[in-house]
Amino acid sequence: MANYFNTLPLREQLAQLAQCRFMHTVEFADGVEALKGKKMVVIGCGAQGLNQGLNLRDSGLDVSYALRPEAIEQKRQSWKNASENGFVVGTYQELIPTADVVLNLTPDKQHTSVVNAVMPLMKEGACLSYSHGFNIVEEGMKIRDDLTVIMVAPKCPGSEVRAEYVRGFGVPTLIAVHEDNDPKGEGLALAKAYAVGTGGHKAGVLMSSFIAEVKSDLMGEQTILCGMLQTGSLLCFDKMIEEGIDPGYASRLIQYGWETVTEALKYGGVTNMLDRLSNPAKIKAFDLSEELKVIMRPLYNKHQDDIMSGHFSKTMMEDWANDDANLLKWRAETAETNFEKTPAGDVEITEQEFFDNGILMVAMVKAGVELAFETMTAAGIIAESAYYESLHETPLIANTIARKKLYEMNATISDTAEYGCYLYNHACVPLLADFMKGIKSDVIGKGLSLDDNGVDNARLIEVNTALRSHPVEAVGSVLRGYMADMKKIV
Amino acid sequence: MDSLTRLDDIHQNRIRLSKATVSFDDRFTLREIDWTITPEQHWVITGPNGSGKSALAAALAGIGDIQGGSIQGLPNNVEIVSFEVQAELIAQELKKDDADIMDVISLGTPVSEMIFDHCQDTELAQSLVEKFGLSTLLDRAFRKLSTGETRKVMLIRALANKPDLLILDEPFDGLDVDTLAMLQAHLASLIDTVPMVMVLNRFDEMPDFITHVAYLDKERKDKERGDRERSGKQRGDKGRLKLTVDRQDDAAFNELYQLLHLKTTDLSVPEADPTNKLPALDPSQPLVKLTQATIQYGDTVIVDKLDWTIERGQHWQLSGPNGSGKTCVLSLITGDHPQCYTNDILVFGFQRGNGESIWQVKQFIGYVSTNLQWEYRVSTSCKNVIISGFYDSIGMYTKSTDSQKKIADQWLALLGMQDRADQPFNKLSYGDQRLLLIARAMVKHPPLLILDEPCLGLDDINRQLVLALIEKICQGSETTVLYVNHHAEDQISGIEHYLALEKNH
Repeated sequence: MANYFNTLPLREQLAQLAQCRFMHTVEFADGVEALKGKKMVVIGCGAQGLNQGLNLRDSGLDVSYALRPEAIEQKRQSWKNASENGFVVGTYQELIPTADVVLNLTPDKQHTSVVNAVMPLMKEGACLSYSHGFNIVEEGMKIRDDLTVIMVAPKCPGSEVRAEYVRGFGVPTLIAVHEDNDPKGEGLALAKAYAVGTGGHKAGVLMSSFIAEVKSDLMGEQTILCGMLQTGSLLCFDKMIEEGIDPGYASRLIQYGWETVTEALKYGGVTNMLDRLSNPAKIKAFDLSEELKVIMRPLYNKHQDDIMSGHFSKTMMEDWANDDANLLKWRAETAETNFEKTPAGDVEITEQEFFDNGILMVAMVKAGVELAFETMTAAGIIAESAYYESLHETPLIANTIARKKLYEMNATISDTAEYGCYLYNHACVPLLADFMKGIKSDVIGKGLSLDDNGVDNARLIEVNTALRSHPVEAVGSVLRGYMADMKKIV
Repeated sequence: MDSLTRLDDIHQNRIRLSKATVSFDDRFTLREIDWTITPEQHWVITGPNGSGKSALAAALAGIGDIQGGSIQGLPNNVEIVSFEVQAELIAQELKKDDADIMDVISLGTPVSEMIFDHCQDTELAQSLVEKFGLSTLLDRAFRKLSTGETRKVMLIRALANKPDLLILDEPFDGLDVDTLAMLQAHLASLIDTVPMVMVLNRFDEMPDFITHVAYLDKERKDKERGDRERSGKQRGDKGRLKLTVDRQDDAAFNELYQLLHLKTTDLSVPEADPTNKLPALDPSQPLVKLTQATIQYGDTVIVDKLDWTIERGQHWQLSGPNGSGKTCVLSLITGDHPQCYTNDILVFGFQRGNGESIWQVKQFIGYVSTNLQWEYRVSTSCKNVIISGFYDSIGMYTKSTDSQKKIADQWLALLGMQDRADQPFNKLSYGDQRLLLIARAMVKHPPLLILDEPCLGLDDINRQLVLALIEKICQGSETTVLYVNHHAEDQISGIEHYLALEKNH
């Protein structure tokens, strides 16, 4: 199979990358009509598979589960999940030929084998749905011409997809239609109905393309989202220990600090995150992040270039073929780092203290978000996509670190993200070695010790203007505005 | 307090609160409590909803932030059983479930682990497990238990830990008659070994061995304002210890009894929303028809071949011991149970599993239960909680209409909670939350009103208010009531149909 993106002419690549818009509520007026009475068969009964299925059924749709014969015979967990919840469960042979829509909710790595097994069994003119486009775009899976191919990707863990639905709401969802496989022109209608069935339309739906989703998703997850947070965690922790900060305190500051500072990011972008600092600290964070951006820009460019050329997915698939040798090695190394091994101390850190004593962390988030956004848009990805795959998702990943540090983050994200995260981390730690030599506990661990908070007016105005005029802030405020309209009324 | 008294206290194992002011985040403050508990005493704490009964109990368990005065002499090994602690345990279990982003479904902690890990007296725990009838549930996930069953697990944990002070906040609520008698007998056998402090909303449930009663009351608003100006710090509601009564003192005891049994005033139920009518139901069809309904997990059968038809205007009471599947049967009707799709269920004209959505079913139902209260963990205002009943949602995701707001205000007035319309729901006491959820269930005058142990956590006065409301609704023609409870004295006039479930497993 050849990399699909690389087979397209440049103009088509650019056109695909430029797709992403926030859909209006009126576009979902038809509800689940397009799927009413159709047979939906889910493959994979993990958290996404089960919970999406529960929602779709509660929306009045016909859902059943196709599992491998071993899973059924041995009554494995996936079989229990599906059958205890009252779903019809059967083998591929039994259920796929009857399906109008097949929902592939297995992990990326299994896509090729699952799709190869399923495709010959699918009936003429049916629909195959993905929740991530890697298989199509990077692995170049060619789907039978008569089949419609769509993507519906709730941007939250499975348990949340269900919990929000039960409350009467939903989670933000990305949809796309694979243009090479839309023979009847019904792809969009099916994807919209699917999003309604899971409750996604209540929380906001983004219309994107397979290519934009894959290229921006890969870039975001391996740089700012996982890579930067992992690198930052390790460097900041070691620096604090070197500076004589109590290890328990240092561990807590980092484990919960990312979550706290990115919460401010979620509400009001990079600007609001820096506005939480005192004026002198804000200027300090700004200067640090400018320095970081100069040092790290070549690395961000390399990641984006490797993703665009297909080099990244090629090397990763080689590792898949090699029994994940690199991935497993890196995973073990992470478990042995000082940060990972030092439990968070039993000290109270107030919300504001996370900002005051974590100036470098704020600077790293700012630098990472802005660089990822700038690099993506420079590569032809539309600003909306770049925003979602950088700034918007950072708090979600930070939340996983708060739960159980880097282990939880890496276990939670896809293997694809984890692989990219390690590549980034291995390059970025040495890259920042010199920079870190100049860092003291005033920007990580203790906070600035100043007699007064005075700053130069002109400099403050300069910094504030620079923050507020960055393009990620412009698109962010528009998108957050849409989301707020749909958000829970608290 | 001088050092001599303190030495004396230590010698006597007294617990002494001296002008203790204890705050619980922003939600509640106990003000200047003076109270002494000696080892041979057993106390009941009582008082209206929101007066701080649970807060005082929690303070004895070392929960809360002491802002003034002191609490001396608390033993090291204190056990507390309360809705708050129960809710916290459930929340922890749910959080584990959240950890499933790895695309694995978490199964949750099994009951056996909850009971036997860190257990002081395994033998006692074992015998309690049998007495409480939990032997068959040891392998079940804690969070899959029914309300009463979780409560039992908490009780066993507390009792088997051999505490030096046992605090039981509403221990009898949610227990079936047999379990209740067994628990009371067990507690009576402990009176010489451990001092007990109980929070009871139902004065009549007070065990004979109780020696003293502490009565709490809310601090009045006008006074509070003055205080706030002075202290400038404490927010939220405040409670004071108004009086303590020795049970031997008949006069004082009777006075307290009177205080707790005020008459409910004349009631009128606020109207339904005239601007938003539900679709009409076919009058020839029953509201609900279950045919051979069965609920089963693996080999465990919870509900076995139940036939049940609810005709319009037929008010029902559903009863049965803990774990007999009452809540399961109700969730088949509400559509919250996944096995509603494998059963023959006709609700409001929908044969389930034929393309209807759960929202089409839920629009005809008003519902209140302990599970709902646990699930109602979103932060929203009290008024929005009532309005969310129009949308069957937990939290509000749509702008409410003026007409809905007006009706919600009427409900708040009826509950005496006008001044709290905009306060966050999750900072209220359990009983006050419960009142709002009852209003939420009734607000749209649903064709079917399901009240699953609605009075749990309510004080005597509010319980009478709620029972009176239910009676009013039963008298009307538009709503059919389905009522679940354990308390024989909470009979509702107008209910003439009874279904008793038995335990199958």
